[in-house]
Amino acid sequence: MNLSFLQNPLVLVALVLINAAVGYVLARRHAMARAGGDARKLHSLPNYYGMTAAMAAGIPALGVLAIWLLAQPMLIQSALLPLLPADVVADSGRTSLVLSDVSRVADGLDRAVAAGVLDAQRIAALHTDPAGLRDTLGDVGVALGAEVEVYVLAAAEKSRSLDARADLLRAGVVLIVALAGMALAVRAASPTFRARNVVERGMLALLIFAASLAILTTVGIVFSMLFESLNFFRLHPWQDFFLGASWSPNFRGDSDLSILPLLWGTLYISFIALLVAVPIGLFAAIYLSEYAGPRLRAVAKPLLEILAGIPTIVYGLFALLTVGPFLVDVFGAGGPLSMEGLRGGDPLMAGATAVMTAGLVMGIMLIPFVSSLSDDIINAVPQSLRDGSYGLGATPSETIRQVVLPAALPGIVGAILLAASRAIGETMIVVLGAGAIARFSGNPFEAMTTITTRIVSQLTGDTDFASPETLVAFALGLTLFVLTLGLNVLALYIVRRYREQYE
Amino acid sequence: MFDNTTKPEALVSKTSKISTRNVQVYYGETHAIKDVNVEIEDKTVTAFIGPSGCGKSTFLRCINRMNDTIESCRVKGDIRIDGEDIYDPKVDPVQLRAKVGMVFQKPNPFPKSIYDNVAYGPRIHGLSRNKAELDGIVERALRRAAIWNEVKDRLQAPGTGLSGGQQQRLCIARAVATEPEVLLMDEPCSALDPIATAQVEELIDELRQQYSVVIVTHSMQQAARVSQRTAFFHLGHLVEFGDTDRIFTSPEDPRTESYITGRIG
Repeated sequence: MNLSFLQNPLVLVALVLINAAVGYVLARRHAMARAGGDARKLHSLPNYYGMTAAMAAGIPALGVLAIWLLAQPMLIQSALLPLLPADVVADSGRTSLVLSDVSRVADGLDRAVAAGVLDAQRIAALHTDPAGLRDTLGDVGVALGAEVEVYVLAAAEKSRSLDARADLLRAGVVLIVALAGMALAVRAASPTFRARNVVERGMLALLIFAASLAILTTVGIVFSMLFESLNFFRLHPWQDFFLGASWSPNFRGDSDLSILPLLWGTLYISFIALLVAVPIGLFAAIYLSEYAGPRLRAVAKPLLEILAGIPTIVYGLFALLTVGPFLVDVFGAGGPLSMEGLRGGDPLMAGATAVMTAGLVMGIMLIPFVSSLSDDIINAVPQSLRDGSYGLGATPSETIRQVVLPAALPGIVGAILLAASRAIGETMIVVLGAGAIARFSGNPFEAMTTITTRIVSQLTGDTDFASPETLVAFALGLTLFVLTLGLNVLALYIVRRYREQYE
Repeated sequence: MFDNTTKPEALVSKTSKISTRNVQVYYGETHAIKDVNVEIEDKTVTAFIGPSGCGKSTFLRCINRMNDTIESCRVKGDIRIDGEDIYDPKVDPVQLRAKVGMVFQKPNPFPKSIYDNVAYGPRIHGLSRNKAELDGIVERALRRAAIWNEVKDRLQAPGTGLSGGQQQRLCIARAVATEPEVLLMDEPCSALDPIATAQVEELIDELRQQYSVVIVTHSMQQAARVSQRTAFFHLGHLVEFGDTDRIFTSPEDPRTESYITGRIG
């Protein structure tokens, strides 16, 4: 009997699910039969017995399958290493290249066999002289960079046979686990079995799994950044990164890679953005929560929040095509505020990309962020405080200034810090609006650059992941992450610390 | 405060501080207060009693126009304080509320120091010329609210850190500090324990020396203890209004009798 269809993991998943469905029906029926057909004698509703069986049949089997799928390629690769020449194994870069060649050849051979172009005898004949194999594989759609070496073909053959055996073994193990789980659950389905509680625990496990997956991903991201950053600091002195004065990457090997000019640009642009977003956002929030009638509020709040839904690349275009040229008209050469006379004929603003351009547009982007958070916080101030103030003969604006805002202040500070961390991490607006020159300057109409734009530019185009010029992106990213994480933690701390007294 | 309106003296009885004629209140379509006429006397405590939802708090909030802050609320009829129609367009509700103080059901100290809580009203109304005068106002208000001895050493501590009964007395001090003529109290003891309640009740009795006090309460014992006049509200109607002693000993209306004997409400 040909069992090769079982090697396909999708078929396996389908079989496990069918088995789970069968288990559901069997366990339900079994429980009912044991209760003499009277559902009232069961501890739980009949469906719960079915669900326990489906869970027992499906979850362990799928778990085994997932682990197996992850582990099998790694184990097979390590089994192939003895077949490779010693000089290849000594160089980890070449080893991974050869191993990927091997897997491609193995894949090509599989396809060729499936298409009937090759069979076992003809492959065996190729073992001593693989010339022509490259063309054969090219015909079935697997392109190779060079002629196939003898040892690559040998490794590919070994990998194919190991894979085939491992796949069959996998199918066997998974199906046994699935059937055993189902059998145990069906046997357990007696009237005294607390199926309902088991299902409850199963749901809890599912929820915990989802939550921990999110957390583990974050941890994984941090660690991958951390390792690449450590690689960077092995190649480049940390003193230059944290304390140097200039940023000028080149490929001669003597780059200055200091974060400070980038950090300056980042903070300067974020500062201007907050200068725009905080007053406008806060006043909008006060108007909406304290003055606007319910009908206006119902219209205005979603409209304001539409701003938050605009993709940042669109804001970037707005900065580049509208705000930048407008600022140049005013502050550039010949503009009314260019101050050329004071600056010896040198206009304040030379080009459309500038700190001010990016800062203004980023500020607009942050308005809904600040206003919607502040609005929620202002609404959380108890009405009794407002009544108390009105009851003493205060006007609405006195009440807001002296009672509502002080009560809401911690939350508003938290909202501003969250907005700041978004501004620091923002990329597209600064890529398009701020320019690409790393420098320290106090003039907001000059082009500057930020950490995020430098990460983008260091990682686009031809990159060599062994050079500090590329790896610096990870160190920059990690610094940025630490910065925004710190701001977020501070914001949450402030919000929580001072909110307590009203809840 | 009502300088530019003429006083219709004819409507004012000798001792009446607040008089209302045919007051109707609507919340949207709901008719919450129907035809209420009362005369509230100066330097007396008047209690409003009645089952929940009978409109007594709503009516109380009409007297200092706090209902203006509720979008759907409409008030009709005539409410006069010292003969002046407080719903006249010429009357500034903000000024009115400085003259008609209010104490709420739940203590609501502002998130400020004890001193700033009491000084809040005098500051916004410019009642003091300098710091020393303001200190005097604050001390007098705190003394009058019988809380001075407990807080005199920690005036800069936050008002929210006091106990519930102290917070409520602080709120009374805050209301008293603006020198109102009428003090409205909306179930001022419902969030307090019996000891704090006794302190506040004693305080209400003292406040009667200077103010006209109107108190809404769910406790008939409290109404009997602190008030001289009692009004019984039921389903938006003023059922009976008269001297407290008479209302509790020989009520005229069967509904009043049922309520005070515990058969309804």
